[in-house]
Amino acid sequence: MTSATFPTSEPKPSWTRYFSFNTDAKVIGIQYIVLAFFYFLIGGLLAMIIRGELITPASDLVDRTVYNGIYTMHGTIMLFLFIFPVLNGLNNLLIPTMIGAPDMAFPRLNAVAFWLVPIFGTLLLASFFVPGGPAYSGWWSYPPVSIQNPLGHLVSGQGLWLTAVALSGVSSIMGAVNFVTTILRMRAPGMTWFRMPVFCWTALAAQSLQLIGLPALTGGAIMLLFDLVAGTSFYRPEGGGDPVLYQHFFWFYSHPAVYVIILPVFGIFSELFPVYSRKPLFGYVYVALASFIIVGLGLIVWVHHFFTSGVPQWMRNLFMVNTMLISVPTGVKVFAWLGTLWRGKLRLTTPMLFCLGGLFNFVFAGITGVMLATVPVDIHVSNTYFVVGHFHYVIYGAAVMGIFAAIYHWFPKFIGRMPYEGLGKLHFLLTFVGANLNFLPMHPLGLMGMPRRVSSYDPEFAFWNVIASLGAFLLGVSIIPFLLNMVSAWIRGPIAPHNPWNAIGLEWLLPSPPPEDNFGEHVPVVISRPYGYGIGKPLVEHQIELEQALTLADQKEVSR
Amino acid sequence: MTSPPSRSPRIRPLAIGGLALWVAILVAVSLWMGRQAYRWLPVQASTAAPLVDGLFSFETGVGTFVFLGVISVIAWVVLMHRAEKYDESDAEPIEGNTRLEVIWTAIPFVLVMSIAFYAIRVNTSLGVLGPMEHIHLANPVEDLGGYPGDRLPAEQVDVIARQWSWEFRYPGSAVSSTELHLAVDQPVTFRLVSEDVLHGFYIPAFRLKQDVVPGRAINFNLTPTREGRYRLRDSQFSGTWFAANQADVVVESGEAHTAWLKQAGALPLQSGLSDAVQEYAKRAKQTKPGWATVPPAPPPQVNVPGSNTLPHDA
Amino acid sequence: MTSTVPNTASEQPHGGEHPNHNLTGFIIFLCSESVIFLAFFSGYALLKTSALNWLPPGVEGLEWQMPLINSIVLISSSGTIYLAERAMAKGHLWGFRAFWLLTMVLGSYFLYGQAVEWSGLKFGLTSGTFGATFYLLTGFHGLHVATGVGLMTLMLVKSFIPGNYAGGEQGVQATSLFWHFVDVIWIILFALLYVWQV
Repeated sequence: MTSATFPTSEPKPSWTRYFSFNTDAKVIGIQYIVLAFFYFLIGGLLAMIIRGELITPASDLVDRTVYNGIYTMHGTIMLFLFIFPVLNGLNNLLIPTMIGAPDMAFPRLNAVAFWLVPIFGTLLLASFFVPGGPAYSGWWSYPPVSIQNPLGHLVSGQGLWLTAVALSGVSSIMGAVNFVTTILRMRAPGMTWFRMPVFCWTALAAQSLQLIGLPALTGGAIMLLFDLVAGTSFYRPEGGGDPVLYQHFFWFYSHPAVYVIILPVFGIFSELFPVYSRKPLFGYVYVALASFIIVGLGLIVWVHHFFTSGVPQWMRNLFMVNTMLISVPTGVKVFAWLGTLWRGKLRLTTPMLFCLGGLFNFVFAGITGVMLATVPVDIHVSNTYFVVGHFHYVIYGAAVMGIFAAIYHWFPKFIGRMPYEGLGKLHFLLTFVGANLNFLPMHPLGLMGMPRRVSSYDPEFAFWNVIASLGAFLLGVSIIPFLLNMVSAWIRGPIAPHNPWNAIGLEWLLPSPPPEDNFGEHVPVVISRPYGYGIGKPLVEHQIELEQALTLADQKEVSR
Repeated sequence: MTSPPSRSPRIRPLAIGGLALWVAILVAVSLWMGRQAYRWLPVQASTAAPLVDGLFSFETGVGTFVFLGVISVIAWVVLMHRAEKYDESDAEPIEGNTRLEVIWTAIPFVLVMSIAFYAIRVNTSLGVLGPMEHIHLANPVEDLGGYPGDRLPAEQVDVIARQWSWEFRYPGSAVSSTELHLAVDQPVTFRLVSEDVLHGFYIPAFRLKQDVVPGRAINFNLTPTREGRYRLRDSQFSGTWFAANQADVVVESGEAHTAWLKQAGALPLQSGLSDAVQEYAKRAKQTKPGWATVPPAPPPQVNVPGSNTLPHDA
Repeated sequence: MTSTVPNTASEQPHGGEHPNHNLTGFIIFLCSESVIFLAFFSGYALLKTSALNWLPPGVEGLEWQMPLINSIVLISSSGTIYLAERAMAKGHLWGFRAFWLLTMVLGSYFLYGQAVEWSGLKFGLTSGTFGATFYLLTGFHGLHVATGVGLMTLMLVKSFIPGNYAGGEQGVQATSLFWHFVDVIWIILFALLYVWQV
């Protein structure tokens, strides 16, 4: 393994591979991300309709049934068809390249998991066209509302919804088995646990949560489906069933699901802050381990979602304390990022701006999260817009901004071209302002007592709702520079060198874009910890030769 | 750009002073925000409200301090620690500091535990104000020995939630209504039942909320403390007219309440308020009204329909 | 699943599946799968303990003698599959096939017994939470038994491909592991459904 030679004159693979059953993780990653953004646009359009309805107190834009269907589908699409697929896309791109594996452990399973996404996506969207319309009981689908089935048909929007969510679960489990096996078994020689990039740590933590939590939801959903179509009474009070039982199943998964989303974003922050501050990650070991403390605690907090359903006092107190404890490992991470930034040499590129903006929003969301954890405050604000605001600060303010950061940061690596900085900064500005304008007003609304999921409201809530709607429309506009940037950079952006950000990591020791089998037979031997900025120790054996070969290849590519 | 003050190995008195001043400003702002927090909430109209608001104010104060502290650091590094143009070099590598790690693990721990301690105390007081535990049909409160004498509420009101109307029955006076009337400063016990799906019994001015679970009768106590007209909102999504499933709560003096009960008892039964029924009738005339819905339950037959359009305090 | 001899190097040639990871992946999947059963078990326990009238009218309880015989059959099949695996490890391909087939017969008998029990019951899926949970638990477990028999058939057929099992076969190990898993689940299920009948 003296010097790796990467063939440069290899014929460019055809674009049609993105529409085929391809087993290359890098192709699958891009398939996931592009498809996820297609659904993001649909989910976003639904959000615009929601905010359009809520700009006035009366229910006047769409019928109430339509509103309920639309908010249900907005939540479902954004979670199951946007955020999970986009994160799986990043996992596919980053995990093998970061650990020096040629591909995922099970490439075919990987492709099957991906192709399930358009299948259940189509199924879910098809529910708009079945008689009676789509599911309307919210993305929680609490029974008995979700099993009322007004038309009584066997094929109902709710039935399709449940089928789609079950398929999404199958796809996620396939993905999780694959990611965990890959990380456990396919790391480069020399890459011990504590030489693994934090993104892989967080991906491992998040996927472990999927494996533990998702089956509980699947079990609960199977019972719900039986109640809906077979007339059983698991959750039907008339037959002795218990509607609150479903809430346990649902939240046992769906609270950890938020950590499945946010943990990889913590990973992205931990990767990017060192690069753009030119400093090692502060307290790498603590940051890595904190992910698993979050996993452990994340599994024992689910009851805080239904403090008002009539759970006994001791349970309320227990789950409150558990929930609040999560802020400790999370705080360790936040402080570690601040420690990384402190006295660094900051470069405010587009990815860095998105990370800083995401961190800002995340800290805010963390504080409202602690408020929500305390039972007495939660009793007042649960199921109000306060929760909606908190949730959107986490998901849009922190997670989606982190995902944008990752896309701008790794775009050159996997596409081979540079995105445009000007459009990127415009995108950041619109997103940051739009998100805060949209989601901050939801907090006062919730405190005043405006319930979530309403299609009309009392006039005293109008002021903040108008601001929120204007923020939402701004957020809708903010996606235009992003799409413009991605499409034009992909077609005619400047050719990217192998390491445009001067970053440390195995993925940056590959050409841009990497060949199909990444390092192939020549996997470098890792000899030091990641994030060695300013330390001057090479990451891998024979790093200098490797870099020289890559730079040479870069020059050839540019001169062509 | 000048190097930041902390670059020097000796900690300069100026830096210490500046930091102390900044912390003092943050503390002042946090205290002010904690005070402001009360203004974001509706009027306090129950014994629970001051307890909840006090906790929220405390959390707002602490939260403001933490938020501004973190944001100050971010703002400082963004302004002061930017790489100069064409400076491609790395910063001084600091890989970590165990003492700092211990400190910033311990501080949030102590902070959240103190908030939790405060919250548990509030919780206990709220529990004394009324049993917040649900009572399952299998073991109603009577089987458990009933309430201790000092907690025996003066008035019982049966609350029946439906898709989509609220009905209030006063078994002691044989009165029913779709507008909730309560006497100020008198403890009241609600018996919450649902005839169809989950609903949420939520009166923001009281800061209290309890899901109404079909198949269970849930006992729920509170004491209103301020006369006025408030909103009761369904807080657990219950289907098509969920948003319209609201009722008014009138808190009146003891005498007025007795008079109301007496007057109401003499009135004949009539259809109560149900916005859903009205909208459903209008909707039936449209050619393409929208997607499928469960029809609303017929309006409850009550002595007093009351109003849900008069101006309310919160 | 390719039939290549596993590489000693840690890097596998790109393209096919990586045979030495299959077992790892399968164990991870089984851990995850056990959570579904855990969810069903806890749901069952919760519904049962909080029920006003657990048994539907006209139902006295569950008859346990025949299910007990059925359980013994299933549990002993865990022993025969172990013997099959041992034979395989020693290279006795016919011994493997014999015990493997015996396991399949025992598994199929269990399914038959289950079907007989179901057809003689006086309650249905919609008979309250008792009926719903009973059929859900036994049905979902039965589905796993059927899957196990199917997997075993597949492995048996593959054993006739010359040289296929020369280096030991992870598929056999995985199937055997799955079968033990199904057995353990049944023991818990039997205790919950038939023993706990207060």
